[in-house]
Amino acid sequence: MTAYIQGRNVNLTFRPPNRSPVRALANFDIEVEEGEFLSIVGPSGCGKSTFLNVLLGLIRPDSGDVLMHGRKISGPGTDRAMVFQEFGLLPWRTVESNIALGLELKKVPAEKRRAVAARLINLVGLAGFEGHYPNELSGGMKQRVGLARALATDPDVLLMDEPFAALDAQTRDLMQAELLRVWREARKTVLFVTHQIDEAIYLSDRVMVMSKRPGRAKTIFAIPLPRPRDYEMRVTPLFNELKLEIWNTLKDEITV
Amino acid sequence: MADDAAFRQSFAARYRNPLLGTLAVALFLAAWQAIFLVVPFNPLFISKPSAIFLGFIDLIDSGDLAYDLAVSAVPFVLGFVAAALVGVPLGIVMGWRVRVGYALDPLMTVFYASPLVALAPLVVIFFGVGVGGKALIIFFLSVFPFVFNVYAGVHSVDRLLVNVVRSLGGSEWDLYRKVIFPSVLPYIVAASRIAVGRALIGVLVGEFFAASEGIGYAISRFGDIFALDRMFACILTVMAIAVVLTESIRFAERAAFPWRSER
Repeated sequence: MTAYIQGRNVNLTFRPPNRSPVRALANFDIEVEEGEFLSIVGPSGCGKSTFLNVLLGLIRPDSGDVLMHGRKISGPGTDRAMVFQEFGLLPWRTVESNIALGLELKKVPAEKRRAVAARLINLVGLAGFEGHYPNELSGGMKQRVGLARALATDPDVLLMDEPFAALDAQTRDLMQAELLRVWREARKTVLFVTHQIDEAIYLSDRVMVMSKRPGRAKTIFAIPLPRPRDYEMRVTPLFNELKLEIWNTLKDEITV
Repeated sequence: MADDAAFRQSFAARYRNPLLGTLAVALFLAAWQAIFLVVPFNPLFISKPSAIFLGFIDLIDSGDLAYDLAVSAVPFVLGFVAAALVGVPLGIVMGWRVRVGYALDPLMTVFYASPLVALAPLVVIFFGVGVGGKALIIFFLSVFPFVFNVYAGVHSVDRLLVNVVRSLGGSEWDLYRKVIFPSVLPYIVAASRIAVGRALIGVLVGEFFAASEGIGYAISRFGDIFALDRMFACILTVMAIAVVLTESIRFAERAAFPWRSER
């Protein structure tokens, strides 16, 4: 049986004008099961965000196959949606119409859009902020909008590119719990890129460690913590053993 | 009483900046008027504020001023609107389609940098002195601020927002409508502030060259017959219109973009 999402031998080199080419992905392999929460950790610039953009369909790899449902990904599609690190909200749109953006692009009628947006606004806890503009929101609230917008088109796969990296530590802890709650309700396959080992363990079914650039899959760790997860699990011996193990794998790849 | 004093103080404090500006204008006019008491200027060559004011009243009474302004307003509006309708899309395409930008940038720069007023006689030869010819001169003078401001504005479009719309399945047309155009709106407003000034120059130049009515024609005719009081009345009216137009655009700039305000 083939996996739900499959990357086979993916190679990608960036060739910026007037600079030497950068090899971002080298023989990168990945398999993701349906409904799974998989995190990818790796050193800065290892190509983990690049791979999400390949999956999203914004970047085409030089060689290798990226498949979903056994079909090759050749461009953006409504079966995948991204939550961006810097939120990417349109500043001239209110919370509600930012969330409805994907539906609008799919030509969904206005009435249906409003209904979906209203449901998601409640799901991510933004009731009362429908008419606010992004610059009136805190970082955490902006990313709630980003999450709701990604969920609005009802994709099968959520791609999350360091979504909480721009938030302060406390807000990040809260948003992680929120994400797990939303994930339980929405039941999506999630690919989550992060720098934080804690975050990866707490959220995921499996954690993939990537090598330094050019990025390859180095090791995959299964996270046997039971679900639903709660904050106390982060101070259990099992959690700390996993953290140490992942850190030991990761630290060889980090150059200061 | 104490409340009244506090109110007066806050009134002065609140409006200090515009009050200072008004005071300077009043002093300028007073000095202009006063200098005639000392120096015996020949009224054939220079006028004074009191005479200009009487000339102004006369022009309003006769309806001549309103008529000339109405005549000039038609090509002004046509030329300006056409400049916006052509300049904005052109600037957007030049900014977004890199090759179009490279191709047109030098040509546009030549037109923008050169004194287009020099072409006015040619336009008059080709199109006459009617509404069409005047509108064309106004169009040429005011289209380039739109082109270049919007062109520069497209470079400030946030690439992340482009990726967001693309990743959600947006087409090229969706990018223009939902990301690029809203991003350059502030640049369009800034452009129209510059373009209004140039369009007014276009009105006057067009009517100086050849016309039988309109505010520019009125200015040059009153000059020819040495009716300097009424000539100055017309000039000051044009100045006032220029100030009102640019200031109202500045005001609209602040009011029109609620998402930019920090609350």
